[in-house]
Amino acid sequence: MAMLGPIARARALGASIPSAAWVEGILDTPYDATWPWISDLETSIPRFDTQVRQVRVVQRTPADGAERLRIRASTYGVAFPFDVRLEDGFCLMQARARLYLVLMAAEPHDGGARTRFFHLEAVPLPGTGFLRGHLQRVVDSDFRNLSRLASRGF
Amino acid sequence: MDALVRELMPYVGRVCGAIALDRGDDAMQETFISVLRNLRTLREPAALHGWVRRIAVRESIRIARSGREDPVDPALIVSTAVAPIDVATVIDVRSTLASLAPEQRAILVLREVDGMSEAEAAQLLGVAEGTVKSRLHRARSAFARRWEP
Repeated sequence: MAMLGPIARARALGASIPSAAWVEGILDTPYDATWPWISDLETSIPRFDTQVRQVRVVQRTPADGAERLRIRASTYGVAFPFDVRLEDGFCLMQARARLYLVLMAAEPHDGGARTRFFHLEAVPLPGTGFLRGHLQRVVDSDFRNLSRLASRGF
Repeated sequence: MDALVRELMPYVGRVCGAIALDRGDDAMQETFISVLRNLRTLREPAALHGWVRRIAVRESIRIARSGREDPVDPALIVSTAVAPIDVATVIDVRSTLASLAPEQRAILVLREVDGMSEAEAAQLLGVAEGTVKSRLHRARSAFARRWEP
């Protein structure tokens, strides 16, 4: 039986959204250290996403092999509510009003010694393809910051 | 859409794995890209599974045709020391499947796994019913030859 890994699943979802911008690359830290750090959203996101000042988990419930989280991400002085599905190597965050979508996925690379990381942001609404250039700059910046943090061991 | 992907994953994984073999993961990714990009063109929600099956079969054949066949992993052969009969049988089935053309594997999956009629398989693959019959005969013969005394 074939498998759809976390990154392939994220690529497939991203390919269906015209405004989606994504970046995929290798982080020089072991997967077993990287994903636990990334999936601690309160700690990780404000450190690599310069647009987000604070993330607060307001609810956490288990759901069929995953965790469902409700978070509030504070950016530009406003706290936006997001619904999150968090699995091993896969994190899908959707703004409650369905106006913004963030995807992070990761898999072991080089036998787990490094981490392949995929990061996507999108506005999942019709007619928003023109936003792709701006979103690409955002995810590229996030990945550069994350790589820098990884090189220092977070 | 992620919920839809999760629901369809087991079925698409079986189809892609059986037809595209070692490139099943690639076929699965391409299937979901095609499904999600074209979902809005599906007019009848009840036809979803048949539509997805058609895309999975088409992508699996395309990916299998474009790739080379990898040899059986030697590590699998070494592991026969643990369970000689079962693993040897698995390798035999895999190597017999790998010896078939992707189109023959697709027909085997549609007939033997999905239980489709020859007419339904012919329609899905866009070939004549006689072609399905002959490909199915060749596929079954390959398996019969492998285990005939």
